[in-house]
Amino acid sequence: MDQANLLKSLDDLLELDPGTLTGSEELSALEAWNSLAVIGFMAIANEEFGVVVSPKKIAACTKVSDLVALLQAA
Amino acid sequence: MNAAIHHIEYYLPTGTLTSEALTVEFPDWSVAKIEEKVGIKTRHVAADSECSSDLAVAAARKVFDSGAAKPSDIDFLLLCTQSPDYFLPTTACLVQDRLGLSKQCGALDFNLGCSGYVYGLGLAKGLIETGQASNVLLVTAETYTKFIHKSDRGVRTIFGDAAAATLLGVGIDDTARLGPFVYGTDGSGADNLIVRAGGMRLRQAPPESILDASLHMDGPEIFAFTMSQIPGCVRTLLTRTGMAIGDYDLFVFHQANRHMLEHLRKGLRIPEDKFYIAMEHCGNTVSATIPIALKHAQMEGRLWVGARVMLVGFGVGYSWGAVSIIWSGSLDKAVEVSQSMQISTQSSGPVMGAAPTREQVGIIDGGSLQ
Repeated sequence: MDQANLLKSLDDLLELDPGTLTGSEELSALEAWNSLAVIGFMAIANEEFGVVVSPKKIAACTKVSDLVALLQAA
Repeated sequence: MNAAIHHIEYYLPTGTLTSEALTVEFPDWSVAKIEEKVGIKTRHVAADSECSSDLAVAAARKVFDSGAAKPSDIDFLLLCTQSPDYFLPTTACLVQDRLGLSKQCGALDFNLGCSGYVYGLGLAKGLIETGQASNVLLVTAETYTKFIHKSDRGVRTIFGDAAAATLLGVGIDDTARLGPFVYGTDGSGADNLIVRAGGMRLRQAPPESILDASLHMDGPEIFAFTMSQIPGCVRTLLTRTGMAIGDYDLFVFHQANRHMLEHLRKGLRIPEDKFYIAMEHCGNTVSATIPIALKHAQMEGRLWVGARVMLVGFGVGYSWGAVSIIWSGSLDKAVEVSQSMQISTQSSGPVMGAAPTREQVGIIDGGSLQ
C-alpha cells in the first residue's frame, strides 16, 4: 500500500473525508485519535501488512506521517 | 471412558446497563457507534449484594431444574472465578453447600479469566477419564463489574456479569468428544489486564492512585496479544487434529468484542456463517462467554450430535487455550426442535440421551436449520 492509500485508510479510520489527511497533522490535534483508533490502526497494519505493530511504537508517534512511516517500515 | 458435555445453562443478574444508558453518561458516544464497535447492546450487572456464588448457584440450579442431573449426582465441582466472594473459603465450597451437593463431592476454585472455560473442560476431562469423577459440574462465574471504575467507559462498555454451568459426564459411546487441547501462557502481559489492589501485594490502593483498585485494561496491548497468539494457537490445534478450518461445523471463540472477533475471523479465513457470536444481550462475561454462546447455538439448532466445534479462549494473564470438541448435546431446545419433527428422545439418569443428529435437525449444509 502506497502512502496515498495509507492516508486514505487513516481518513476512513478517523471518519474524515477522503483526502483530508496529508501526513503533517499532529495526532494530539485529531479528536478521533483515541484508543479505539489505535486498535483500528493495528488492525489495518495486521490486515494489509501482516504485522503486529507494538502499541508502544504507536504511542511514540506524534504525527500522522509517523504512523505512515511505521507501516512502510513493516 | 470418554468425557462429554451433557448440558449447559447460564444465568444473568437482573440489573442491566444498556448502550443508551452509557450514552447518557458519556454524551460524546453514540449507541450506534458502541454497538458497531463492540457488538453489545446490554450488559448485566450484579447488585451490590450479589456475588459470584449467587450467580453460580442460580446457573447450577437451572441445570438441575432441567432434569439433566440431580445435585446428588455431582461428584466434582469446578468453579472458575476471579471475583470470588471471599479470599477464603473457596467459593466452590460455598456453592457445594448451597446446592446441596454430596459431602463426598470434590470442589475447587481456579482463577482464570477469558481462557477459563477451555481450561475447565480440560480439568473435567482429566477427572472423568481417570475415573476420579463421574459427573462434573463446571461453573464459570464472574462479577467483573464490581472491579470497574464508573468513569472507565471503555471497560464498562465491554464487560457484563454472568455465570454458566456445564454438566460433564461419561459419553454415551467410545467417541473422544473433548480434545485435543492447546494451552498457552505468557505472564509478561500481566500488567495489561489487572486489578492491582486488593491482593497481598497491595492490600489497598493509596489515595493518590485510587484507580489501582479498579480493573485496568490496556486495549491496544490486549489486541496485540490476541493478534500475536491466537491465530497460531488455532493453527496448532488444526495440526494436532489433522483437520482444516473447513472441517469444523462451528467456531466459538471467547466473546471479547465484535471488532476483535471479526479481525480474528477474517485473518483465519473462517466463514462468517460458521463463526458464532452471542454477546449482544450480555457483553463480555469473561469465562462464561463460550458456554453462553454454546447454549445459544444449541437453542438455534446450530449444534447437533457429532458436530465438530472449535472453542478458543484468551485473555487476562495472558492465558489462552483451544479445544476441538464433538458435540454430544442434551435434551433441551435443540431436541425440542427434533421432537417437533417426530424424533423420539429419552433420557436416563444424569447422563443425558442423545441430542439430534445433523440429519435429524434437518441440517443440510452450513449449519442452518432448514
